[in-house]
Amino acid sequence: MMDIKRVISTIEKNYIKNNLKKGERIDGRGLWEYRKFKITTNTIASAEGSADVSLGDTKMITGVKYDIGEPFPDLPNKGVCTVMAELLPLASPLFERGPPDEESIELARVVDRGIRHADCIQTQKLCIKEEKAVYILFVDMYVINHGGNMIDCGGVSALGALISSRIPKGEWTEDGPKWTGEYFKGKELINELPLPITFGKISDIIFLDPSLPEELVIDGRITISVTEKEITSIQKSGTATFTREEIKILGEKAFENAKKIRKDLDFWQYANNSN
Amino acid sequence: MTLLIQDEYPKKLLREDGLRLDGRGLTDLRPIKMEVDVIKNADGSAYIEWGNNKIFASVYGPREVHPHHLAKPDRGILRVFYRMATYSVFERKRPAPGRREKEISLVISECLEPVLFLELYPGTSFEIFIEVIDADGGTRCASTTVAALALADAGIPMRSLVSSCAVGKVDGQLITDLSGIEDKAGDSDMPVAMTWFNDEISLLQFDGKMNQEEMDKSLDMAKDALENVYQMQLEALKKKYIQIQEGI
Repeated sequence: MMDIKRVISTIEKNYIKNNLKKGERIDGRGLWEYRKFKITTNTIASAEGSADVSLGDTKMITGVKYDIGEPFPDLPNKGVCTVMAELLPLASPLFERGPPDEESIELARVVDRGIRHADCIQTQKLCIKEEKAVYILFVDMYVINHGGNMIDCGGVSALGALISSRIPKGEWTEDGPKWTGEYFKGKELINELPLPITFGKISDIIFLDPSLPEELVIDGRITISVTEKEITSIQKSGTATFTREEIKILGEKAFENAKKIRKDLDFWQYANNSN
Repeated sequence: MTLLIQDEYPKKLLREDGLRLDGRGLTDLRPIKMEVDVIKNADGSAYIEWGNNKIFASVYGPREVHPHHLAKPDRGILRVFYRMATYSVFERKRPAPGRREKEISLVISECLEPVLFLELYPGTSFEIFIEVIDADGGTRCASTTVAALALADAGIPMRSLVSSCAVGKVDGQLITDLSGIEDKAGDSDMPVAMTWFNDEISLLQFDGKMNQEEMDKSLDMAKDALENVYQMQLEALKKKYIQIQEGI
């Protein structure tokens, strides 16, 4: 295993780069090969929903909590979902303590946008009383070990946590919102299954699912979030530039990989059925 | 605003048959599971499941001190950061660390420092990051226990391990290892930690009411519980090397 430092030596950089040119990667994968996801849901008793997801060495634990609050004035009958990411300093010597930095905000925002624009959460149902009380869902992602490609891992863990959630159903009474004794679960909460798929780029080589040593040497990456039929968000980051042809191809690759992940992980099996 | 379901405490914490609400006897510990070397990036790490508590700890160091002015020319420093995940408690916790987390960090740091040889590492720092991802009473004890394991896993020279457990009083009875409900609704709570090289107490807090006799008895109860926790810590550390040996 390579030592993790902020600056990676030229010799290591060239090693990774030359291997990529030959179509090989230091962990033995092919350019278009994804690492394995491992997912366990409902691991946190205190959370409404939770998922413990590993992608290679990357490990994230995501929990869902809810609150009742006032809706946004322009969306008076829709619930709200906010995504937060914590890059815990225990997860990597690269992470520092303190308020969220750019990296953690980008992670949260990219996962958030993927979910938001995909019509993933049934926000219409998460309304108790128009203009008065809607649900606010908090999806909080905690990185436990940083092994690269936190965005894709975060996307899967957010989805897993949401699907496994059990949110108390409320009704409006004169004294405010009251619990009906039932819960929102599985398909009552979730519509679509958006997944972010990330590609790394170094010089003119593009590859799927960068690991941490690769992330430290790449020029940039591009994340494409897709549902079954549509692209819902794209984030290009780093200094790399992409041609139009490349983006077209990567779009197709994103659909292809997201389909495979959805099939492999079979998200609906994690829907919470308990009362 | 408000949550739809309220967090309610029962009136009585002991059942008719004298057992506790979760079926434990007065001096029983909750089920405990410990594992070391769970976070690859860290110099040392450990994970503990203590009842419903789930806690990760990782250790980095000796390494350069940030910010630099905290460095001490004659010895190393130990810093502990105890944090709780937003979803680890009934009502979502705000992400920024609160006063409680900072106090517990300090208490744990001062509890662990006696076992380290900090004078051998001038100008450096050891940092222990503790993340509580699920909480159900007794997190500071579980955190101290798991932090000691992470230090040992990092291969940092130590005088001994440190073990910790709470004792307290509910419905007039002394009990070992308070759960979340017993902690909130009980009469008193006393977290205790022991450093084994001198058999002395290095973490002690107390909230509630107890007379002198009860206090003496609960310290004895704590000692018994800590012996068990200590054995489990040793097992967890040995298990890593047994696994490596079997792998060869």
